[in-house]
Amino acid sequence: MKIKKLFTLLLIMTMAFTFCTGCSSDDTPDTKTGDDQTLYLRLTSPLQSTDWQQTSNLDGNKITYIQLFEGLYGMDEASGGYYNLLAKDIQVSDDGLIYTVNLVDATFQNGDVMTADDVVFSYNLAMENSKFGYVTSMIDKIEAKDDKTVVLTLKYPYSAISHTFFTIKIVSQREYEETTASGGAFGTAPHTAGTGPYYVTEYDVSAGVKLAAYENYWQGAPAIKNVEYRVITDDAAAVIAFENGEIDYLCDAPLSEWANIEEAAGERCSLVKANDIQFLAINYSSPSNNGILANEKVREAIFYAINKDNIVQASTNGLGSPAYEYMVPEYVATSPKASDGKFATYDYNQDACHQCLLDAGFSEEEIAAGIPVGTILTYPSDTSPKGKAAVVIQDCLKQNGMIAEVEIRESAACSNDLYGQNYDLAIYSDSGNYDYNNIRQMLHSESVGMYLVNYKDDKGTFDWKYMEDLIDQGVTATDVKERYDIYTELWSYAMDTKTLLPLYHSAVGIAWSDRIKVEKLNPMYYHLTDISWAE
Amino acid sequence: MYKYVIKRILFLIPTIIGVTLIIYFVMNLTPGDPGRAILGSGVSQEDVDAYNHAIGYDLPFFQKFLNYLGNMFFHGDFGISYVTKQSVFNEIWPRYITTIELAFIGMFVSTVIGIPLGIYAAVKQYSATDTVASLVSFLLAAVPTFVLGLVLLFFFALKLNWLPSYGIPDWTGYIMPTLAISIPIAAQNFRFTKSSMLDAIHQDYVRTARAKGASERIVVWKHVLKNALLPVITQIGLNLGVLLCGAVVAEQLFSVQGIGSLIVARITLKDEPVIIAGTILISICFTVVMLLVDLIYAFIDPRIRAKYTKKRG
Repeated sequence: MKIKKLFTLLLIMTMAFTFCTGCSSDDTPDTKTGDDQTLYLRLTSPLQSTDWQQTSNLDGNKITYIQLFEGLYGMDEASGGYYNLLAKDIQVSDDGLIYTVNLVDATFQNGDVMTADDVVFSYNLAMENSKFGYVTSMIDKIEAKDDKTVVLTLKYPYSAISHTFFTIKIVSQREYEETTASGGAFGTAPHTAGTGPYYVTEYDVSAGVKLAAYENYWQGAPAIKNVEYRVITDDAAAVIAFENGEIDYLCDAPLSEWANIEEAAGERCSLVKANDIQFLAINYSSPSNNGILANEKVREAIFYAINKDNIVQASTNGLGSPAYEYMVPEYVATSPKASDGKFATYDYNQDACHQCLLDAGFSEEEIAAGIPVGTILTYPSDTSPKGKAAVVIQDCLKQNGMIAEVEIRESAACSNDLYGQNYDLAIYSDSGNYDYNNIRQMLHSESVGMYLVNYKDDKGTFDWKYMEDLIDQGVTATDVKERYDIYTELWSYAMDTKTLLPLYHSAVGIAWSDRIKVEKLNPMYYHLTDISWAE
Repeated sequence: MYKYVIKRILFLIPTIIGVTLIIYFVMNLTPGDPGRAILGSGVSQEDVDAYNHAIGYDLPFFQKFLNYLGNMFFHGDFGISYVTKQSVFNEIWPRYITTIELAFIGMFVSTVIGIPLGIYAAVKQYSATDTVASLVSFLLAAVPTFVLGLVLLFFFALKLNWLPSYGIPDWTGYIMPTLAISIPIAAQNFRFTKSSMLDAIHQDYVRTARAKGASERIVVWKHVLKNALLPVITQIGLNLGVLLCGAVVAEQLFSVQGIGSLIVARITLKDEPVIIAGTILISICFTVVMLLVDLIYAFIDPRIRAKYTKKRG
């Protein structure tokens, strides 16, 4: 009897628990029916912070960098340039060191008028944060001349300063200081400290985020009044949510599901060329197979063996495009263009590959048997685009008389070996480059922990001084044409080293529901102000 | 008996310390650091080192470990997330509750479906019901949670439009995640209960009970079930571990903000405070459930009860 009673009690308790949890109240609105006045978007992971300095993933930056905060410059991604945003105009001194910035009449979402002190405060905050060293290291000082004028002094002329003006966002000094003075960490709660078109109304780091339109936005009230971000981590689930009408705007839609998205969205979807690059790096100093990769002809043979079209097919479902430049010329005005024919592109060429191997000293028998060239290292998984590209390259090499292993590791585990030049061949990616000056991180010897190929070696294999001189010239030149020529020369030399081969650019899939109209499609940062309700 | 309970509760402390030490040790072995993960590849090693120093990541292993234990036990402080700069406890507690809810509902559903069916199939062995249930259980036990989840999403969210594909807006949001994690477990419960019942049915004491004229109902409920349920109860407790793991997959698929998906996301960012606190909370939950299972076991099994009950006279 005792056991029976015990079980009955347990059963009743479990049922009561289930009933309570199942019927627990929740503040989330009815997601099935949705809200006619709210725009729904997807987040792949929860927003880490409402402070633009603290968000460290692209999904978060898309909210904080564009919708909540603004910089002195905006970025025209589609055509590769910058435009005045919070800066009404900027005058540059003849020596290129002093920038005088006149500010627009904007207000923060808390109603305060934006002043030069807010700009100085925001820049100083960013300059103290090592995360933004790449856009602030050239700044000597910043001062407020009057309420609406800021003077920025550089340590040396810096042609890529526009990206600094875009990256550094302006925050309300009063609200920021009040939050931190009361013991809170700025960014951990909703705030009204930006000048952007939207402000955060609800924020929970373990869930989604809600925005509301800032009606007094200095460029005019946004058309969409309420926005809700829903955290949907799984790609397939996100597509189902979109098809089900639970998501209105799907940016960076999974390419593997593109056929389903096209079927569901019809005309309301588009593919945009991504601002990224997937490339192959060859470690010429690798000791594998008696230092075979030190042989320039072997590296050239590898370049000729790679069929980029096959990689595009495997890695992007055929939706990406083969790459020949390090940065996408459409988005980076000073990026060298392959169409100019001023640098080698190493198109797939089996005959040239074969000849290179013969020139490298290998016999026909050795080529027929397959020459081991080492291991292709990449991350994060074998089903990822880079993982698939590694397998295609392995196959390309095999078809052309070379043998390579494939090793795919978790990102963190892989990066130490890549930055430490402890690899043979590597597939790596870079993205979000809007100024060619960023090539420095891949080619300059001072960029330790960032580059994959160390050009500055004791053996004098490459003329690294020449490369670094060109990088320095590029960053100090102010004329666009001059910079273009310098960078073309630089990239031409980089390609001649046969160590970095651009493979492909991905595609960005964007789809939207019939409830909305979208004016402009960007590869990276969408603007909620470009979206309005359909008639 | 209370000695047994106190002993088991005290055992929680070394368990938590052990779990914390193992997690710290494993995290220490894995390559990468939060500075690089958070700042990205475009930042110099010098800046990465400065970031790691600022958050205290570069402290010696045991100093970090002892600091963490001290803060946890004496101040109830799980630390601040490296990524969000928010209190770890505030960040993970709502997610923890969600995961525990899912796991417990899953445990309830899998028990309610699997055990009665297992009993029925054993009592009516070789019947049509037994054959069909056995076949279906074989199939369902082999289906991974993510496959089942996608099938459920496709039919109930996309095609029939009955249930939300996203999150837990109300009680309907629990249905698909719970089914996805509990159906394979229910199938396993069915098979386990059936085989346990069949073992018991063929014991001598059951034959004796029948010979003494006991009704079939009494034989099944009083003699067979009582003995057959002992291993089944242990299995139900152990299932919680499987359900907690399954909940991670379900959280990802159904966009439920639980602790599993948070830990998985933060592993790549090396957010040690969140990973360790999450693992500790899950291990506490699992240990407490296993304690409850042992207590139930002690109540049911006179041999265990006798060990801890004072001898009379």
